[in-house]
Amino acid sequence: MVRVITITSGKGGVGKTTTTANLGTALALRGARVTVIDADIGLRNLDVVMGLENRIVYDLVDVVEGRARLRQALIKDKRLPDLYLLPAAQTRDKDSVGPEDMIALVNQMRTDFDYVLIDSPAGIEGGFRNSIAGADEILIVTTPEVSAVRDADRVVGLVEAAEKGPPRLIINRLKPQMVSRGEMLSMEEVVEILAISPIGVVPEDEAILTSTNRGESVVFNQQSRARQAFSNIARRLGGEEVPFMDLTEQTGVFNRLFGMFGKR
Amino acid sequence: MQDVITIKGGKDSLRMQIDAAADWQEVLEALRLHLDQAGGFFAGARLVVEVGDRQVSEPQLAEMLELLQHHGLRPESLAAAARETRNAARTAGLAARPMPEFNPSQAAASSDGASTLLSRTVHSGQVVRHPGHITLIGDVNAGAQIIAGGSVVIWGRLRGFVHAGALGDHEAIVCALDLRPTQLRIATLIARAPEDAASHVPEIARIDGESIVVEPWGSYKRG
Repeated sequence: MVRVITITSGKGGVGKTTTTANLGTALALRGARVTVIDADIGLRNLDVVMGLENRIVYDLVDVVEGRARLRQALIKDKRLPDLYLLPAAQTRDKDSVGPEDMIALVNQMRTDFDYVLIDSPAGIEGGFRNSIAGADEILIVTTPEVSAVRDADRVVGLVEAAEKGPPRLIINRLKPQMVSRGEMLSMEEVVEILAISPIGVVPEDEAILTSTNRGESVVFNQQSRARQAFSNIARRLGGEEVPFMDLTEQTGVFNRLFGMFGKR
Repeated sequence: MQDVITIKGGKDSLRMQIDAAADWQEVLEALRLHLDQAGGFFAGARLVVEVGDRQVSEPQLAEMLELLQHHGLRPESLAAAARETRNAARTAGLAARPMPEFNPSQAAASSDGASTLLSRTVHSGQVVRHPGHITLIGDVNAGAQIIAGGSVVIWGRLRGFVHAGALGDHEAIVCALDLRPTQLRIATLIARAPEDAASHVPEIARIDGESIVVEPWGSYKRG
């Protein structure tokens, strides 16, 4: 039975697309059949992050409007045979599809996949409503910044009103050193404000930027700290109990040494 | 001496209060004068009529509604303490809601069961509205709104917007375990939270004279 999971945030730029790509890859690496859908019609970029831009023939709007069958529009990932992308249309806008179209679309996928991840556009308007219409579960991504948390809180309320069940939280781009200096909200503080349960915390990691620019998932980068975080989220989605990373221990020997000097 | 008719701007509609003691003909005259003086200022505005504990018959209400509509106002709802008056309003096609009788000692007490108890987090963009008192077990996040005809008690952190005594009750209070609202209103008065650090002790806000005062629960209790 497929699980349709929408990744949303309210605020833009907090890492919805990166999270969708990496979580999709992490799930596929664990043997699941996964499709990721870019619901950001008119501003697509999930294809770019996954390095599949040049393979697009048909897109989501083509499927909805009957110009292509779903099978024709799905693009197979470069490395993983069980990971597919349904790209957004770039030349149309968000009013091209309605919530009922999205529900019909994901219903076509229910038999062939284990996970369908939907990358929501930023905002709380039509595009957001479309992206959650067909969802069974919602993941809300936020960074530990007051403005992002405020927008995430707004989305928590909207998801509640849409009766989608309690959403779960991914805290992205956390900087452990800033948290320990009291300059950034901690995971606990964000969770306390939003009053929803966390499913993952992803540390700030430059490897994310280099891999998204190259169009490949950070999950393939063995050195990456974010890699482990996304793998953990994939395992938790599968129902495993995985303790949250102790990010304070990840500062490395060098930083710990500097920390000691600093104290003197 | 209070005006027979008071029209105030609310959040998304106007509120008209009618003096409880005045004769109905006097009320209509005052209203006509008020609307004539205002010119077209009120045209198109939605209106909530508050008649207090006065009894208003169907013909009386019809006469007033005609006058309001003639001046382009859109009466939407009526708040009245008397059930007969509310029924008359419903007959005339208005939404009707109960209103605490205008009596400070009673208003301070519960307006006969008109209060609500909730246990949840109120998130940004969500609004909790109740004509009586509101008690909430949980947090009110920034961007959320709590609007009560009576008092507001938050067993948690109050970060959003709160309006107690929204129907004009100056005796209403607001208290919270952590009282840090973005804006706090009681009746017609407005207060903003100070910019400096939070006190993190339970506090209570009420009207003292012409302004809203906030004090720690401990000293309020002794005071």
